[in-house]
Amino acid sequence: MTRHDLITKSAAALRRRRDDLMRRDLTTSAAVTLRLRRDDLIRIVRGILVSIVAVVCVFMITSVPGWAATHALLGIHQAPEAKTNSAPLTVDQAKKILARAFTAAYLGETTTGAAARADLRAAYTREGLRAAEGRVKLASVEPAVAPSLLVAPHPTLLAVSRGFGFPRFIVAQTLASGGGLPILHLLTSPDAGTPYKISMSVEMVPPATVTPFDSLKAGSPLVANGAGPRATNGTGLVVAPATLLKLYAAQMAFPAKPVPKPPFAADSFASQIQVGAAGVADAVGSQADFVQVHKVVPDSVYAVRQASGDALVFGVLERKDSFRVKPGENVNTDANKEFVLLSGKKMITTAASITTLEFVVFAVPRSTGQATLVAAREQAVSGSGY
Amino acid sequence: MPASTRRALGAVLAALGIVLVFVGAWIVVELGPSGEAQFRATSKAPGAIVVTSDVLNAVDVPARVTATRADGGAVLLAVAPSPDARAILATSAVSSVSGVRYPAGALDLHASGAGALSDISNADIWRLSAKGAGSAALEVDQGRAPETLVVTSGDSTALSNVTVTMTWADRAWFFEALAMAMIGAVLAVFALTDLWQGRVITVAGDVAKTNTLETTK
Repeated sequence: MTRHDLITKSAAALRRRRDDLMRRDLTTSAAVTLRLRRDDLIRIVRGILVSIVAVVCVFMITSVPGWAATHALLGIHQAPEAKTNSAPLTVDQAKKILARAFTAAYLGETTTGAAARADLRAAYTREGLRAAEGRVKLASVEPAVAPSLLVAPHPTLLAVSRGFGFPRFIVAQTLASGGGLPILHLLTSPDAGTPYKISMSVEMVPPATVTPFDSLKAGSPLVANGAGPRATNGTGLVVAPATLLKLYAAQMAFPAKPVPKPPFAADSFASQIQVGAAGVADAVGSQADFVQVHKVVPDSVYAVRQASGDALVFGVLERKDSFRVKPGENVNTDANKEFVLLSGKKMITTAASITTLEFVVFAVPRSTGQATLVAAREQAVSGSGY
Repeated sequence: MPASTRRALGAVLAALGIVLVFVGAWIVVELGPSGEAQFRATSKAPGAIVVTSDVLNAVDVPARVTATRADGGAVLLAVAPSPDARAILATSAVSSVSGVRYPAGALDLHASGAGALSDISNADIWRLSAKGAGSAALEVDQGRAPETLVVTSGDSTALSNVTVTMTWADRAWFFEALAMAMIGAVLAVFALTDLWQGRVITVAGDVAKTNTLETTK
């Protein structure tokens, strides 16, 4: 068989095969149905397939690492920016913090020894710790109200900080299981490395209520003030928190120094302090001169914006009761168990003083009206005499 | 289209299809049906290890991070909002995971800072944490991004010789790779078929031409 014969036979076989296919295959049937020539149908289908594959190929080719299509294909994206209008804590985190702090506070106030002191330091901070230590020191002469307030098993989380600035806060409320007044708690964290601790726990003054804060997810901003942590927004309140507490402290002094046009409404707590001071002055008048001074503790004021635009202002005043013994007099303090426990002195010949912390919470309106006292508590923390 | 151009195009498409088949198949095997991509690095520098949000929150699927100490000591993994993590580690020596390398399966580590590590375990900034002896693992969801993951010893002791493994799993990646391989196969088959048919037609043309010449004779 020559080369020509071989080629001729092969071509003939191919023609036969092609003819067979043309007679029998589905493509021909489809072409007849579509009223197209078989070759035209094949060209059209092939063109469509090649176009689809080409498009996908272009997409795949542009999917090599480093190209934008890779990121789109795998869902890779830039990390989102930190939101300044959200809370840095989840609700679960805040609740765990509350549980931890209240448990430590309860253990610290109901047990004794080094472990109790460690628990107190774990639970409280700053003036809150001073007050707790004073309360423990005076437990034998003061009614034990504090521990029962901390037994409350389910504190209500009212507000948490907004944004990633410091200091941060948590506001919570408890209600003693045996009844009594609701307690407002302020927990603070001064920096990223320091855990939240109780700055103050204050009984509410009937019939005060606390209006809602922004959602726990969004957090609540702090209001700028001159005596404590600052926030980015202006005060937007009828009175600046620092000014409010300064004037409130001033009007409680003894001898009395009335504040003209006070930005706060009269309240029972201030009245009790003033009446008490007048009573002490009368009682010791024959033996000593008595003066009472109230000062705002630096960096103690936290003003938390509420959903309505009003603010809840937490602050601590330090009250100093000073006695100047009159010449020739000796004052026996044995009957004053609190002073003896704090100072260790039973006889005073020259001077004496008792330091008391006053924790106050005010509701401050946004535009009109006066600030009203929402919660207040006092705790003697130290004494001295000679 | 001229036959030579068509054949060249067919050859290119066939080659491309074959490449896609191999690459797609290799990725399918690498990822497995779960679509799991794993990257690791060992930090020898003393200090904490930090996985920044640029890596931790780069994909919308949970990231699983495992840290293993060669000496079997305690390991603490903790996740916090990135600004907080930066604040607490501002003065500490850290090795930051700044990127991943695929397909090498490696993590890029960048050492910075020189200060001693403070005990971060008492801070309240951590949203998630896990502690273990020798090894610990943590799965970080993407719901609170941007966040940063920190690996420490759980106290102020500096870490060294710690292997960090990051794993992302997304079944969609497996199917995308599978699609790549299949599309490559289809492309290669079509292109090769076209090339083969072109060759047959050419041969048939030669035969017809030969027959014509013989008839003329």
